[in-house]
Amino acid sequence: MDQRFEGVPKAEIRLEGRRLVRSDVSNDWGSQLIWEIRRNGDVAATISARANDSHELTDSTPGQYEVVLRMFQYEGYAKDANGKYTQSKFIDVSNKLTWTA
Amino acid sequence: MLRIGDVRVPVCHGVTRRSFLEAGSAGLAGLTLPNLLSMEAAGAVDSAKAEIRNCITIFLVGSPGHLDTWDMKPEAPAEVRGKFRPIDTNVPGIQICEHFPLMARMMDKVALIRSLHHKTGATHENGQRWMMTGHDFNPDSVKPHCGSVISRLFGNRGTLPAAVVLPTKIGNTGAGPFHGQTAGYLGSAHEPFFLGSDPARSDFKVSDLSPPAGQTEFRLNARRELLRQVDEVQRQAETNSALGRDTAYSRAFSLLTSPEAKQAFELSQESDKMRDRYGRNTLGQSCLMARRLVERGCRHVTVNHFETVFNISCWDMHADGGGLNNTYTDYEQLLCPQFDWAFTALIEDLSQRGLLDNTVVCVLSEMGRTPNLNARGGRDHHPNAWTNFMVGGPIRGGQAIGSTDKTGSRPQNNPIEPPQILASIYHAMGIDLETTMMPGPGSRPIRLVEAEPISQLFS
Repeated sequence: MDQRFEGVPKAEIRLEGRRLVRSDVSNDWGSQLIWEIRRNGDVAATISARANDSHELTDSTPGQYEVVLRMFQYEGYAKDANGKYTQSKFIDVSNKLTWTA
Repeated sequence: MLRIGDVRVPVCHGVTRRSFLEAGSAGLAGLTLPNLLSMEAAGAVDSAKAEIRNCITIFLVGSPGHLDTWDMKPEAPAEVRGKFRPIDTNVPGIQICEHFPLMARMMDKVALIRSLHHKTGATHENGQRWMMTGHDFNPDSVKPHCGSVISRLFGNRGTLPAAVVLPTKIGNTGAGPFHGQTAGYLGSAHEPFFLGSDPARSDFKVSDLSPPAGQTEFRLNARRELLRQVDEVQRQAETNSALGRDTAYSRAFSLLTSPEAKQAFELSQESDKMRDRYGRNTLGQSCLMARRLVERGCRHVTVNHFETVFNISCWDMHADGGGLNNTYTDYEQLLCPQFDWAFTALIEDLSQRGLLDNTVVCVLSEMGRTPNLNARGGRDHHPNAWTNFMVGGPIRGGQAIGSTDKTGSRPQNNPIEPPQILASIYHAMGIDLETTMMPGPGSRPIRLVEAEPISQLFS
């Protein structure tokens, strides 16, 4: 009886000044939940989002920013030679915020 | 109305033909009400006079590495302390893994037991049997699961079974069948009820409780089948095991015909918000179902976090590159978050409903994991030291009982063995171990477990 995650988690995120705020996640799989912050297209930071519903932004490096909430989707146990999952992955579960600093 | 022996049984709440077949396999022979009552009375404790609490056990099959979870050693060498970092909890001086941030906020409710160990072989089955029965293996006297003991002592409360295992029993973990999940010498009347399906799935239902299409045909078939089986089992009557089977049948039939029992398993009656809070996964929804069951009269629920250790993401972190290839990645992205989310939801929910004072929640596993990381960055079996914990009922939270040495290899002080855990569970449930005896093999009265409760849990 391996686990099968069904449905799609959904959340809304918004920016309040320098603070990222998220709603509760509907259809929450309970797996790892992270803020993914991209700057100029590259991942600048991933921050655990499970314990708190907000995150204070501290990095003010100039650039084009994009933020989304992501959750781990378990699809199977298999991993490649480097230990990375071959099927399981993080997926976006929220709207995306973009801004220029 | 059907008649089974002398008992009139209503069948208006949806009993499937399959259910009859399965119930029949548990035994239909000659059940009479006097027999049933005498069975319940024999050796049972008067539950009406006792203050009995419930128990929910979450069993982490495969065994988390204690050094990566609840007994971290940040000062140890890198090959011992591992990848994760400790975080503070709401109890000064107690730290746990960074991937349990929600549990860290309720450590004042939790009693960690950090000096568990057993001296048997380092197999899953040995540890599971110790932690589920409080006894070592004896092929001549298979010891009963903790829930079966509770069932034998107190019987059912209402129509639900006294002991339920969710979502299913532990299957093959590699070294034999003796996990300690059966009623053993107590007989089939006290076998735990195994749900056998995943409550997180959208098509989940306890099939044996679902009404079939075509009631009329169903009833005819059911009666026909019932008569056939009664005829058959009457021929088998007068055996020693008949009574046990009768009661098992009675219990199964009560379950099949009770709308209350059926409702207890209906997670769809919970709000989406509540289901989300537990996590839409097998562990989360099993924990939610455990709360529903104890709320409705079930006395002992075991939630197995996984039924095997092979080819799935689970706690058995060998990182072997093959069928046991769980790694830190599994812990970080799936297992720890999933546990943290479900466990804290359960404690919060029980507390908000006023059930935590009457429910002991235990998080158990069969062993720890090796202090030194193996060549692939995993940890192997280590029964010499591990951490489990208890919450609720009379348990005093906010403490860590016992400790291990600098590398988590062995208990350093207050070593605790599995029978003490079982003794503590029974004591926490309100059972006086000094005066409560149980019919053993051959009906000889025996103690529930040969150990004393861990006194610090209750002081």
